[in-house]
Order: sequence, then C-alpha cells, then structure tokens
Amino acid sequence: MGRNPLHTKLCDMLGIDFPIIAFTHCKDVVAAVVNAGGFAVLGEAMHTGDEIGADIKWIRSRVGDKPFGIDLVLPASAPDADSLETLLSRIPEEHKRFAAYIKEKYNVPDPKGAQALHQWGGLNQDIARKQLEVILDERVPVFVSGLGSPAFMLKAAHERGMKVFGLIGKARQAKREIEAGVDVIIAQGYDAAGHTGPIGTFSIVPEVVALAGDTPVVAAGGVTTGRHLAASICLGAAGVWTGTLWLASRESDNDMIIKEKLVAATADDTVYSKSVSGFAMRVLKCPWTEEWAKPEAPRVLNSPYQMLLSSDYIQAANDHRRADLMFEAAGQGVSFIDSMKPAKQIVNDMVEEALSVFEEITGEPADA
Amino acid sequence: MSDPKASGAYVSAAGIPKVPGFDPARAGKRAECDGGGAIAGTRFAGREEFAGTLTGDYVDHGEPPWRWYLLKDLVRRPEGYPGTAVWCLAENLFVDGEPS
Repeated sequence: MGRNPLHTKLCDMLGIDFPIIAFTHCKDVVAAVVNAGGFAVLGEAMHTGDEIGADIKWIRSRVGDKPFGIDLVLPASAPDADSLETLLSRIPEEHKRFAAYIKEKYNVPDPKGAQALHQWGGLNQDIARKQLEVILDERVPVFVSGLGSPAFMLKAAHERGMKVFGLIGKARQAKREIEAGVDVIIAQGYDAAGHTGPIGTFSIVPEVVALAGDTPVVAAGGVTTGRHLAASICLGAAGVWTGTLWLASRESDNDMIIKEKLVAATADDTVYSKSVSGFAMRVLKCPWTEEWAKPEAPRVLNSPYQMLLSSDYIQAANDHRRADLMFEAAGQGVSFIDSMKPAKQIVNDMVEEALSVFEEITGEPADA
Repeated sequence: MSDPKASGAYVSAAGIPKVPGFDPARAGKRAECDGGGAIAGTRFAGREEFAGTLTGDYVDHGEPPWRWYLLKDLVRRPEGYPGTAVWCLAENLFVDGEPS
C-alpha cells in the first residue's frame, strides 16, 4: 500500500495520529483519547461559562499543547419561554395518569432529594452566547456546534486561531455551513445515539462528501469499530465521530450499571423513541420506553412536556441505581461494545482493525 | 452609525444587546427551518422542523450579530408544539425563491 490510509487531511489539520474523534461528556475520556493519538470533544451543552472554563483548564493540564474540542448545542429555533409551573399545568391528566401507572407497575421509587431534571431554564440564545464567550476567550483549539449553524461566530473563532466544526443531519445544512466556512463538517446518520437526523450514515456521508469540496467530512452515527472507520474512509470521510464507543470505557464516569447494560446490549436493545424527551432519540430500551410504545399508551407529548413527565422516572432510576429502570442514549453500534476497555486500547484496536481491513481489500500491508 | 435606541435595540437580562429589525424583502415569504436546540435539564439536543411564513421581523443577538427571523402561520411544526410562531436561526432557514 502506497500510503497510510488512516493518515487523512483531518490528521494534518489537527496534528493527530489517528482520524478518530471521541465525543464524550467525561473529561477523563477526553484526556485519554487525546493522549492516545486521537482527538476528543467534550460536550458542555448544559454547563455554565464558569464550569466550561474550569473544564478547559483541567483538560489542558492533562494534555498539554495537544488539541481538543468543546461542543455546545447552539439553538437553531427558539419558542417563547414559559415558567415551569405553566408548562406543568399544560400536561394532560391522561398523560399524568399513565406516568403514575408506570411508576406503580414497576415500583419506581420517588427521586432522592433535589430533582436535577426538574430544574428549568432551557438553553436559549443568551445562555449559548455566555458559553461561547468563554470558549472564545480560552481560544479552545476546536469548537463544535452540535445543532445550529456556527456561521455567525466563524470570523471571531478564526481570528483567535480556532477551528470550527459543524454537525449536521441533512445535506442542505452541510452545504450552508461549508459555504459559510466551517473547517470540518460532521455528517451524522440515523444510527447514532440521542437525537439524530432522519438519514442513514451510509447515505448522508457520501452525499455530503460530494458537495464538501476540500472541507474534510467526518462520519458519525453507528461508528464503533475499525471496520466502520475503514468504511468511512472509503465513503470519502476524513475521519469518524464516535460517541457510544466511549460510554463503557474504563475512564468513563458512567454508572457501572449503565456500563454493564451497554456491554450486554445489541442494536435490537436500542429504540428510537420520543417518550423520553418529546424529541425522537435513540436510547437503550427500558420500561419507560416500552410502556409508551404500547398501543394503549397516550400519544407522546412534544418537548418540553414529555421531558417533564419522564424526569421523575429518570431521576428515580438513577438516584436509586435501579438496573431494571436505568437507561442511556446509545447508537446502533452498541452491539460491538463487548468489554470495558481503556480508551487507549479502544483507539489502538480500532486502528489495527481498520488497517487489517485495508490489507484485506488491497492485499498489501498497511501500517500507521 | 445609527442610534441603537432609535432602532429599538435593548439589552437582555443576561447583558446581551439585541437589535430588532425588519427585512421587507423577506416579509410574506414561505420558509422552512431546520430547527431544534438543547433540551433543558438534559445533555441532549433535539432537532425540530418548521415551515411557515416569514414576517420579515428579525433580531440580532450580541456581537458579532447572531440573526434570528420570526416564522409565523406554521404549516409544519412538531406534533404538540405549543406555539404558533418560532424564531429561526438565519443560517438554518431555507426561504422559497432564495438559493439554498
């Protein structure tokens, strides 16, 4: 093989060894992946500016000058806000009764103490701007917008030497962001965990590659193995964005019960459900999602009402560490998570497997 | 430079300057919005799609300006969406008759 197939323009842009991006909410995973030669992005959507600043300092103390990223969910639409009391008063009695039925059927206890999920104050433009100020002030190497277009802040970021990535679920969004000048576009398919776009990874990635020109495209959604990495490169991607892959890693701060569930789960154990938040999202199946999928269940409410309805169950399940009730957002690639490996080993295994795949295809040795 | 007060500018409780404006060229145009946002109380984001008619009203949030347009008379919105209008990020808005 003439050149290392895993050395892509993403590697050159970021100065990384492997085109693997970890998306995680755990700082320890960020540090471990970055120090293993990959790249990592910390999700900070619900954190204050002060918390984000502290996390940035912590990561820098662990990775030195190596680059890393911070992800925020810039809003793309915003209704007028209502008070928590007003929102709660709008939940139909039928839905409250059904939630109470689930609580009784599965013996769901009351949450302990303060219910974090009941704290209202959803992200709006003001909060996002305050978060962004910290990221710009700190000159974080990479800023990732997980939803709304980051076009308005590109100039400010670039003037500070930062790179800006945009995560999209539709080709027309990718086109807009590429024309605006994002440095990398992340094309996320339906296989992904959480709230995804409607198009499958195998379709959205080459579609975006075809219109991206020189802008590197990163494949997201179900990417869990070296074979996925190799396939993504073959689709024209310059790297992969991985989330579920790290949830059960040694460094992950997820509850051990969740890690064990992830290791045991297959793609069939995930469900694309609106019952948690009112937005369709992929999660591990649990009594809450299963009950709301039954024909006798009331129609699921929209956000934020369904989230307010489910928050009691979620908080109780986590507070009491009830393995039968707990769940986590997980992509279809969860089938391939079969142990709780250190992040460095996950990176190395993924790279070795991808290189083996290229060797199989070309019949020539591949070496990173 | 125009007087911000004359243009209806104000400062939010969070100290972010906001400058409203009106774009007559967009008033009355049909548009789609690939919207969504973070879900309060969680670390998740959600995508939401809207279609409706632009009033032409917009607001620029902060500096550099972050522009949002008002979309009303919604003909497509998430099931159960509580409002009749939505503010859409300019770059996530796809307006009929304009290049996408």
